[in-house]
Amino acid sequence: MPSRRRTLLKVIILGDSGVGKTSLMNQYVNKKFSNQYKATIGADFLTKEVQFEDRLFTLQIWDTAGQERFQSLGVAFYRGADCCVLVYDVNSMKSFENLNNWREEFLIQASPSDPENFPFVVLGNKIDVDGGNSRVVSEKKARAWCASKGNIPYFETSAKEGTNVEEAFQCIAKNALKSGEEEEIYLPDTIDVAASSQQRTGGCEC
Amino acid sequence: MPSDADLSDDDRKPKVGPSANSIDQSLDAIENQLSSISVGQSEYESEADSDVEIKEPSSSNQDKMEELPNGLLNRDSGADNSEELPRINVVEDVSSSIAVWRNNSEEMEAPASPSSSGYAGERGSSNASSRDTGIEEVDGEILEIGNGDSFDGGSNSQVQWLPGKRHGNEDDASTSWRKRKKHFFVLSHSGKPIYSRYGDEHKLAGFSATLQAIISFVENGGDRVNLVRAGKHQVVFLVKGPIYLVCISCTEESYQSLKGQLELLYGQMILILTKSLNKCFEKNPKFDMTPLLGGTDAVFSSLIHSFSWNPANFLHAYTCLPLAYTTRQAASAILHDVADSGVLFALLMCKHKVISLVGAQKASLHPDDMLLLSNFIMSSESFRTSESFSPICLPRYNPMSFLHAYVHYLDVDTYLMLLTTSSDAFHHLKDCRIRIEKVLLESNVLNEVQRSIVDGGMRVEDLPADHDSHSGAVSLHLGQPGHTRESSERFAEAFIGVGGPAGLWHFMYRSIYLDQYVSSEFSSPVNNRQQQKRLYRAYQKLYASMHDKEIGPHKTQFRRDENYVLLCWVTQDFELYAAFDPLADKALAIKTCNRVCQWIKNIENEIFLLGASPFSW
Repeated sequence: MPSRRRTLLKVIILGDSGVGKTSLMNQYVNKKFSNQYKATIGADFLTKEVQFEDRLFTLQIWDTAGQERFQSLGVAFYRGADCCVLVYDVNSMKSFENLNNWREEFLIQASPSDPENFPFVVLGNKIDVDGGNSRVVSEKKARAWCASKGNIPYFETSAKEGTNVEEAFQCIAKNALKSGEEEEIYLPDTIDVAASSQQRTGGCEC
Repeated sequence: MPSDADLSDDDRKPKVGPSANSIDQSLDAIENQLSSISVGQSEYESEADSDVEIKEPSSSNQDKMEELPNGLLNRDSGADNSEELPRINVVEDVSSSIAVWRNNSEEMEAPASPSSSGYAGERGSSNASSRDTGIEEVDGEILEIGNGDSFDGGSNSQVQWLPGKRHGNEDDASTSWRKRKKHFFVLSHSGKPIYSRYGDEHKLAGFSATLQAIISFVENGGDRVNLVRAGKHQVVFLVKGPIYLVCISCTEESYQSLKGQLELLYGQMILILTKSLNKCFEKNPKFDMTPLLGGTDAVFSSLIHSFSWNPANFLHAYTCLPLAYTTRQAASAILHDVADSGVLFALLMCKHKVISLVGAQKASLHPDDMLLLSNFIMSSESFRTSESFSPICLPRYNPMSFLHAYVHYLDVDTYLMLLTTSSDAFHHLKDCRIRIEKVLLESNVLNEVQRSIVDGGMRVEDLPADHDSHSGAVSLHLGQPGHTRESSERFAEAFIGVGGPAGLWHFMYRSIYLDQYVSSEFSSPVNNRQQQKRLYRAYQKLYASMHDKEIGPHKTQFRRDENYVLLCWVTQDFELYAAFDPLADKALAIKTCNRVCQWIKNIENEIFLLGASPFSW
């Protein structure tokens, strides 16, 4: 079935527990929101097909658990990510301060080839809570941090109301796509008969 | 080589006559069956404590052998338990001679005596339940044919089955997808889907991520996950560097078999791309190899399909198209000619069967590579339409590098492959092919090949009669039905139904030195795809139990269940697998196996490629 080339993008969502990672994903993928809090165990996986500039691609979203006890899963989960989404709760200073740890942890564990330019997106979630009165992290502060880390795109979202969710994920997709663009030419060696007889060892290498 | 002493001393006795013989045999049969019941019951008891079985550790309920109650058995074992024992577990070992075997059965009677006690009823009921499972599984198999593999329908010729993606619209939320009996997945170590047998890879991205999470989670703990059992399902994992392969199956195949299939699936991927893949993943864990595999769905689906019909998958041997010795010689001679001019391997094949093959000095070709190569060529439609020059990698020869394959179909089934290391050899190889084709036409090889396809291979009905055949053996050839009709009539009393003498339905013979096998044509009643698949699975299981590293290797095995009598005999030189009518007589079956071996020996230069360079790897 020859089809147009499709791209699959792996997106990791990180952030403290309870900041609304799963709710954001649910709002984005299923257009649903629930006030009930259910802690994610390990990770949840969702997929969404996205059309972008006449190309169809699939987002493979890794919604990870925020609790520290799950962080040992890091290497396994972060490997080969195309984009990392950092989420904090604008009503919780701690969750904002932890963004730095999440970012660094990700860069260490995923060890992307070009860490300086690895695409992150930061989302300040729960802007709807209490009409914004309980907010403790200002947009200015958040944007300043994003700027200091290499101009990370920043969105203020409400998973509950769906504010900016679509826009944020459009940006996530765009950035993920950009980072996946570098294409290599696949050119394995051809056998050199003289060398190959030595290369071949007994038994199968399985 | 089969010698009478190996199996049965009955064979050495001069034949008195069929009738006298059969009386003997039926007495033996009663004795055997009695001892079988005993063995089965004592074993069933021990099974309750531990899963240890004498023969096959991986066996599940379905594996338990069953001695079908027949008239003799009912009469002699008494009414008290024969009705209540619809399923009796029997593990019999064909020992080196009948005499020894008889001794065994006498010994085994001792622990069996409780079987005639009041326990019988209890056991009867539990046995009955295990029988239910067996039937259910058989039904499941039918179900699979009915819904999943309906494309497989048809007879033993593989033409009806078309390779390609199945049910591409499904995903893990589809009920139909979840009902498929055997899934295969390939994914990268970052959890990106690479291949799925059923359903759309991209829609399965979440499922693929889950598989990666499971594998990586275990890996993180410094361990490795090989197998997960979940109800009727087995999930088998194979990690090959950055490539993860997973099979989810409820087909009751053994872990070893499924793992072997994953190995081949990986090999097929290497054949297309080489192991340089690993470098790409090292440089860039995000590496997406699906574009590189574009258009190869059919290659993988056809390989997976072959896991249910091609014994080469587990025998790790190849099979030849039966041809007169001189015909094959003519083909080999011209291939030798071109091999001397810088061709690494020259193969002439007809479908999945070898006509001839030649390797350059010191170069050897592994049967698995041949399987993967021929699968690649046959499942890619474009090879049929024009001469092609394509990079391919032989994973067992050198997994890191490409060779170049010149491929040309000489007729609709027959194709020539010339493998070289030189990427600019196309014109030279084309000249070689023209020469080869000319010689093959002149020496009538291609016509002979077509004739062989029509005539088919060995048929159990043609199995020559025993002793008298020795003198005339030289004149025996394939494709002469009628030649031995009389002789098979001699055994007409000894079996009910069709097939070969003594209830022989089918056999497979693998020559260890040649790395080749030959199997008989399917005959009634194994004459539909469903029956053939079941027999294939039974052989596969038998093979696994014979080669089990923990409890094996074994020399002989005789097992009887509701479908077959299966007999396996392994020597230094060959392995013989034979299937008989479930009511077949044991001694006759053993004798028949000896005759099969003799028959194969008599016509070995027609059914095997002899004198090919020995394969060493």
